[in-house]
Amino acid sequence: MNPLMMLGQNSNNLMMQAFQSMMRGESPRDFLKGIAKTNPQMQGLDLDNLQSTAQALCDKNNINMQELASQISEFANSNK
Amino acid sequence: MGDSNGFGGEWIFAFLIIAVIFGWGGAGFGGGNANVAAYATMADVNAAINNQSTQQALSAIQLSSANNNYETSRLISDQNMTMMQQSNSDLINAIQGFNTVNGNISAGFATVNQNIADLGFKMEQCCCGIKTMLLENRLQDTQIALQQSQTANIVNASNQYLLSQLGSFVPTAGV
Repeated sequence: MNPLMMLGQNSNNLMMQAFQSMMRGESPRDFLKGIAKTNPQMQGLDLDNLQSTAQALCDKNNINMQELASQISEFANSNK
Repeated sequence: MGDSNGFGGEWIFAFLIIAVIFGWGGAGFGGGNANVAAYATMADVNAAINNQSTQQALSAIQLSSANNNYETSRLISDQNMTMMQQSNSDLINAIQGFNTVNGNISAGFATVNQNIADLGFKMEQCCCGIKTMLLENRLQDTQIALQQSQTANIVNASNQYLLSQLGSFVPTAGV
């Protein structure tokens, strides 16, 4: 299995945690800094500038950020 | 987007970062049907770049290793050739030495054989001399015996003659 796909298996749990953190009114920066401690693949990310970091990640991976954001919003709204 | 509470704020970027780094696949968010493949993170991109550098370095090392192996093989081959040549030279010298020794031994045996032959000849000569001496002694003895016999015969004949002359005077003198 592609290692990136294996990483993807963990995304649901993190997404759920993020969703719950958001529902509790917590800071997205604090949440990301918290999970960055146990996820070395997040090393080097600028978590103080989330928008530019997200944009850079999408650009490097040839991802349409607006499209992905729409998908995420759609699922988040449907699971509220 | 400055709001940290609610999906319209910075949380959307947090979700984007999580989605890009950890993938937005499988069963999707909360059991939905999204099936977007996992994406490479910056760390993965950097790792891939580092991996490329590592592979290039490895290729360089492999090339260097191959060159070293070739050079080592060549040196070993040259060394083997030198050793074989030296070995051949040593063998030739040894064989020549043995030939010289064999020649000396053969010459020595020839001299010994000659001495034995000379000794045999001398012994034969000696034996012949002894035989000659023995024969000469026998001949001398025989001549002496013959002479003594002849002398005895002469004496005997003389005695017979004298007896025969006396027989005319003594009838029983010739019996």
